[in-house]
Amino acid sequence: MSGQASAAPLLELRQISRQFGGLQALSEVSFQVEQGEIFGLIGPNGAGKTTLFNLLSGVTPASNGTIHWRGQAMQGLSPDRHNRLGIARTFQNLRLFTGLSVLENVLVALHRQPQGGKLDALLNSSRFRRRQSELRERALQLLEELGLADQAHRQASGLAYGDRRRLEIARALATAPALLLLDEPAAGMNPREKEQLCELLAQLRQRHQLTLVVIEHHVPLLMQLCQRLAVLDFGRLIALGTPEQIQRDPRVIEAYLGGSR
Amino acid sequence: MIDNGLLVQMILGALLGLSVYLPMAAGQLSLATPAFYAVGGTLAALLSTQGNAQSAISLWAVLGEMLLAGCLTAGLALLVGLPVLRLRGIYLAIATIALVEIVRVAILNLPFTGGAAGIFGIPQPFQKPFGYVLFSGALLAVCGWLFQRLEASRLGRSMAAIRDDELASRCMGIHTTRVKLTAFLASAVLAGITGVIAAHYLNTWNARQGSFDVAITTLAFVILGGSRSWLGPVIGGLLLTALPELLRPVGDLRLVLFGLVILLGPVFFPQGLITPALLERLGRWKP
Ligand SMILES: Nc1ncnc2c1ncn2[C@@H]1O[C@H](COP(=O)(O)OP(=O)(O)OP(=O)(O)O)[C@@H](O)[C@H]1O
Ligand SMILES: [Mg+2]
Repeated sequence: MSGQASAAPLLELRQISRQFGGLQALSEVSFQVEQGEIFGLIGPNGAGKTTLFNLLSGVTPASNGTIHWRGQAMQGLSPDRHNRLGIARTFQNLRLFTGLSVLENVLVALHRQPQGGKLDALLNSSRFRRRQSELRERALQLLEELGLADQAHRQASGLAYGDRRRLEIARALATAPALLLLDEPAAGMNPREKEQLCELLAQLRQRHQLTLVVIEHHVPLLMQLCQRLAVLDFGRLIALGTPEQIQRDPRVIEAYLGGSR
Repeated sequence: MIDNGLLVQMILGALLGLSVYLPMAAGQLSLATPAFYAVGGTLAALLSTQGNAQSAISLWAVLGEMLLAGCLTAGLALLVGLPVLRLRGIYLAIATIALVEIVRVAILNLPFTGGAAGIFGIPQPFQKPFGYVLFSGALLAVCGWLFQRLEASRLGRSMAAIRDDELASRCMGIHTTRVKLTAFLASAVLAGITGVIAAHYLNTWNARQGSFDVAITTLAFVILGGSRSWLGPVIGGLLLTALPELLRPVGDLRLVLFGLVILLGPVFFPQGLITPALLERLGRWKP
């Protein structure tokens, strides 16, 4: 299957392992994510879900195994290279630019858009001002999509918890990714907000031609949202399939309900 | 009272404050400013005292020295910055203090820099201090414009983002090493050309001009003035340079009072004198 880039899956993990000292956070995890799907990642606390995102975004290297992006191995690439390849992420423990305004958080992430010229920036020419106001428009539009437009000028640190999670998504979207990695986007939201987020994610996927990988503890939400899911337990992939398959899988039931731990 | 002589020193202080502020605006605690200041000053002192000694020098020659100093400090900053900017926080601070010490000891011991006494009789481009006020004042005004433009541009936004969260910035695709290196380079160039002006103004130059003390004083400019906008280090540099002179009437007590200001400033103004809230009230500086 080498050579045919178009036939290659968007993302492919081959035998990915990661140790932290003696701790095996991930062991020999393999799966593929296809273009355009919403892919769920579930597992008990400490199963290695965030660690997997850290590998996929270049934040930490894998101990073993390779990750392929559109058929090409991504090895030793920095987080900024990963983003420029089209992989964006949010953070489970929120890493917004808290000193900046909500709008500026998104503007920062629009840095790869044309800015209107260096000399124009220096002279504050009308061309530069026009381009910058276009960028602000673009940022506002993204905030609008996530329901944050009315808070654009607030400082990011002043947002409510659920709004901060949505701002993380807006900021990641601003980098124009093909693959968006969402680490517990609904954490801290009430059931109604969770429901709305679910609809929103489906819309965003349509509008921005996204592929989504979503980590979420609230399993019913993922069952409703995702085409396929992977289940991690103690760093091992214990199940992979459609929501129906996952729901019936005895090993998943064991991991979640077999309360011997 | 503030005479023209003090005014020149105040403006030079503001320029050095801006030099310390640049890496800090990208979240890097670099104390390397005195090293580049010393390189610029020494370069100017050496070049302008070559050949038969004159007491005057043309402004063009000084501008030429500034250009050379800018290139030299930029080259040095590139060389040092790449390895050093891998360090974070206090480790970066210590590495840059080491750089200041290395440059100081080198200038002290090189065969052509006049040893501990230094270089004397550096020629003057202006006959009166007022000439220096205009010249350095114009440079400060140009810097003010450039900093204002910087804070409204992509580079300035990326710097602010790195300062808030470097990892998140990288995950947004920002080439953080490049941004940090750019800030460090600009900081070095600004310190270098300020050194050129200072050497001519002071008429003499020695290794003590770029010592660890200067690193602490210039850091105080930024901390007291505020590190959230370029106006902070400018105000901090102007005030803290003027203060010891204005306190001269109280005699030896002035050093105690100066120390108290540096000590208590951050207690009463934890964000410095110039805060984002203050700028907001003064009108919209940030577009
Ligand atoms: N940088 C690190 N150094 C050492 N151990 C780590 C590191 N990062 C993660 N771990 C360990 O790896 C294991 C997996 O952690 P991870 O954060 O990936 O779990 P998770 O599935 O995201 O859990 P949660 O649902 O609680 O977010 C945990 O035991 C964690 O303590
Ligand atoms: Mg996690």
